[in-house]
Formats: sequence, C-alpha cells, structure tokens
Amino acid sequence: MTAATQRPAPPRWTGERRGAIGVVLLVAMVWSISGLDVTLDRLLGAPSDAWAILRQMVPPAFARVAARGAVGKVFESVYIAWIGTVIGALLSLPLAFMAAHNVAPIWIRVPIRQLFNAIRAVPELILAVILIPITGLGPWAGTLAIGIHSIGTLGKWATESIESIDSGPIEAVDSTGGRWVSSMRWAVFPQVMSTISSYWLFRFEINVRASAVLGMIGAGGVGSELVSHLVFRDFPAASAVLALTVGMVLTIDTVSAAVRRRIITGGVGGDDSSRSAEALSDLTGINHR
Amino acid sequence: MTPTPGQSTRPERPRLRARTVGIAAALMAFSIFAAREVGFDPSTFWEVWSNPLWEKFWPIPWDWVFDSGNVLQPFVETFQIATISTILGCGLALPVGFAMSSLTTPNRPTYLVSRAVMNVVRAVPDLFWAKLMVTAIGIGAFAGAWALTIFSLAVMVKLFSETVDGADPGPLEAARAAGGRHAPSLRTGILPTVFPDYVAHALYVFELNVRASVVLGLVGAGGIGRVLEAQRQFFRFDRVLGMLVIIFVVVWVIEQVSVSLRKRLI
Repeated sequence: MTAATQRPAPPRWTGERRGAIGVVLLVAMVWSISGLDVTLDRLLGAPSDAWAILRQMVPPAFARVAARGAVGKVFESVYIAWIGTVIGALLSLPLAFMAAHNVAPIWIRVPIRQLFNAIRAVPELILAVILIPITGLGPWAGTLAIGIHSIGTLGKWATESIESIDSGPIEAVDSTGGRWVSSMRWAVFPQVMSTISSYWLFRFEINVRASAVLGMIGAGGVGSELVSHLVFRDFPAASAVLALTVGMVLTIDTVSAAVRRRIITGGVGGDDSSRSAEALSDLTGINHR
Repeated sequence: MTPTPGQSTRPERPRLRARTVGIAAALMAFSIFAAREVGFDPSTFWEVWSNPLWEKFWPIPWDWVFDSGNVLQPFVETFQIATISTILGCGLALPVGFAMSSLTTPNRPTYLVSRAVMNVVRAVPDLFWAKLMVTAIGIGAFAGAWALTIFSLAVMVKLFSETVDGADPGPLEAARAAGGRHAPSLRTGILPTVFPDYVAHALYVFELNVRASVVLGLVGAGGIGRVLEAQRQFFRFDRVLGMLVIIFVVVWVIEQVSVSLRKRLI
C-alpha cells in the first residue's frame, strides 16, 4: 500500500474540545434559565398561550384600525425616520471629514471618533426616555432620538469611506495650492458621496424599524397603536397594525435597496426586467437564479 | 475654437440635468412636509439647555448604583436573557439556515416557505415581539427570552444562509456523489467550511441581544430596563444616568471582546 492511498489521520483533540464546548454551553444555558423564573407549567403552557392568541389574531380587523387612523400613524413613523435620518446625515457629514485620518489632524479626529462611539453605545429608546421629559410626548422626541443616534453610525461609516479613498486627487488639489476646504470639496467629496448617500438610505431602513418601536414609549408613530390594542387584548386590531407595519417596512426596504443599487452600480448595464427581478427578490427574500 | 497642438482645452463643466433638479426638489419638498408632520422645532436645540429637569440628572448617586440589589441583579437577568436566547436562536438557525440556502435546502418548497416566513419575521421590530410575548405569556424575563430567541433566529438565518450560499460546493458534491444522505452530507461537506463564520455571526448576534435586552424592560419583558423604567417614572433621572453609565461601560467591554474574538475567527 502506497502512502497516497492511506486514509488521513483524524484531527486530534476534537473529541475533548467538543466536550468542553458542550459543557460550557450547557452551563450557560442552565445558569440563564435559572434566572428567568421558569416553572414547568409556564414552559408547557407557553406554546398553547401563544397559539390561543395567534388564533384570535386572524382575521385582522383592518377596517376598524384604519378608522382609528392607524394608517396615518404608520406614515408618521416614516416621517420620523426620514427627518431623523436627515438630521443625522447633515450633522454627521462635516464631523466625518474631521474624523478621517487621511484628511484631519490627530487633535480633532480622536475626540470626534470617541463622540461617535459614545453616541452609538446609547440605544435610541434610552435617548428617547431622556428626551421625553424635555420635549414632551410626541413625534419630535422620537425624531430627535433617532437623529442623534444616527450621527454615531452614519459618522463612523462615512469616516471609513473617506479613509478608503484614492489620495491622488487630494495631492492634485494641494499641488495647485488649494486650501483644505477646496481639497475636501473637489478631491474627497466626489469620491465618497455615492457611498455615503447609500449609507444614508440604509440607515433610513434601520430607522423605520426604530421609529415604529419608539411609539411604544410614546415618542410618536405606529408603536403606540400596537401597545394600546395589546393592552386591551384586542388581538384582531393588534394583528392589523402589525400587518400594516410589516407591509410598510418591507416596501421601504425594497424601494431603498433598489435605489441604493442604482446609486452604487450606476445606470449602465442591466435591463428593466433584471432590475424588477432583483427588487422582487428583495421583497420576498427568494432568489430566482 | 480648435486647440493648438500641445495645448488642451479645459474640460466642459458637467451640466445640471432637469432630472437631477427634479429629484432634489422632490426630496426637499418631502423633507419639509415630513418635518412639519413631526413638529420639527429647532428652538428645542437651545431651549433644551434651560430646562429645569437637567438639575435632576446630577449628581449621580453612586452608592445607590453599586448597591447589589438595585442594578447588579437586574443586569444579571439581562445577561441571562441575552445568553439563553442567543444559544436557542443560533441553535435553531443551523437547520433553518441550511433550508434557506439553495445549495443545501432539502427541497424547493422548504426553501420557499422558510425564506418567505423568515423575511416577514425579520420585518417585525424586536420590541414588537417583546410586547407580543409579554401579552401572550405574561410580564417578565421569560417573555423577553422568547422574543429575543425569535429575533436572534431571524437575524442569524439571514447571515448564516448567506455564508452557506457563498461556500465552496465541491465537498458537498463529493459527499452526495459518494451516496451520502442529506444530513450527513451537510455535516461533512458544508459545516466544517462555514463553522468559523457561524461562530462569528453567533457572537455578533449575542452583541445585538445584549443591546436589545437592555431596553426590553421598557415594555415589561424583564432585565435592567425594568429598573430604568421604574426610576424614570419616579423622575429619578440621576439614578437613570448612573445606570446608563454602567450600561455604556458593560456594552462597550462586550463589544471589544466580541470584535477581537471575531477577528481571530475569520
């Protein structure tokens, strides 16, 4: 028998390692379940409770919630997300130029980067909790919370795309004696703007979900409708609100993804049918290949 | 004017097209309309600073914050919710994720149904799940764990099925050509190549879950948010701020650890 036909030796230690990982996961599971105050009858009862509610949710009472103005609330969530994104985008853009290591000096970029990190660490919901006593209940609190939180992520993404540009145009502007502002405007801005605007749209998609949630604590939008129906255990109405929200989220995701593709890949190549096929696969999650 | 040899004309300035102007005007109009709808009020930016409520944020009562029963215990609960839902969600995501990739799906109907269902599940925001679960099975961490399990599953299958889509199909074809049944072929043909990514995604989902479980308590689903909501209702903003500092530090540490682990894995 030659060496070539010999069976390769199985890797060693895998059994022990697998066992160790299994034990760690098991301990983690037992520890966390112990804190959830789970009793056996609650555990066994949960599926049937969930099922009972699911059955009451069908059929959704669309006419009733529409008469109460739920459709307007859905649109209010979209407005909150849009204005929040606009605020975040406008404030984060100049900051990003001051945070990128290839265009900004170190004394300004370190504090601004830390500012981005600090903002990202506080969830929108917590920001809204702090803002509500100051602005009062209503959509403006939610808009501000989303706007402030968006500065963190949008600033980070924009900084990263500024840092990955080609340095040639900057040198060209510098060699003609241009000032810092001109070099930003004519060398950096044209290179990064397509990427950054697609990030803005992506953030808008995330913010639509966030603004729906913000309504649950009274910061405007569709969340308050869901909460009030669930509090009164009006499940047909709650499922109608849920369906409207899902429809809105999926529509915006699909449209925004199509626009982002157009921004990044440009108008050349691909025909209308391939574009609608891509949009369809965004909407349904199914790839037709 | 024709350029003389050795000299070039200045390139023509790109002209503003009617469509560009139209799109910009439409976006502006929509923004102004939306701003009116949400009650856009720039005066908030400076009036905020003269609000008497700010005094209530300071000084932070550190002895209250570090008293073990007040913050520490609910924080442990937050971790327990995040841990169990990451383990359950990511465990379930393994078979569902395989069903959602055209490379590894057992059959066409499974593929279509799992993709469509998961797409809808993902469109429901995490706290909506939490509120639904609180209504269905009662207030507390148990409901929060269920909600985050569903949420982790929805996020994880998306990330994992995309990894499987991009995996090398060669070993799987070899396993099938040798007559392997479906599950063993996946186990030996695909799983070893995608497993490091799977673990990295699971760590990322754990990070998301820690962040999400901090706010679960605001809708009655247990964890640190419950205390946050209670103190907010008593207008004890100094305590709220103290808790926020602790949350900030812990979330930051977890993120750093998780990011460095993920870098080593991939």
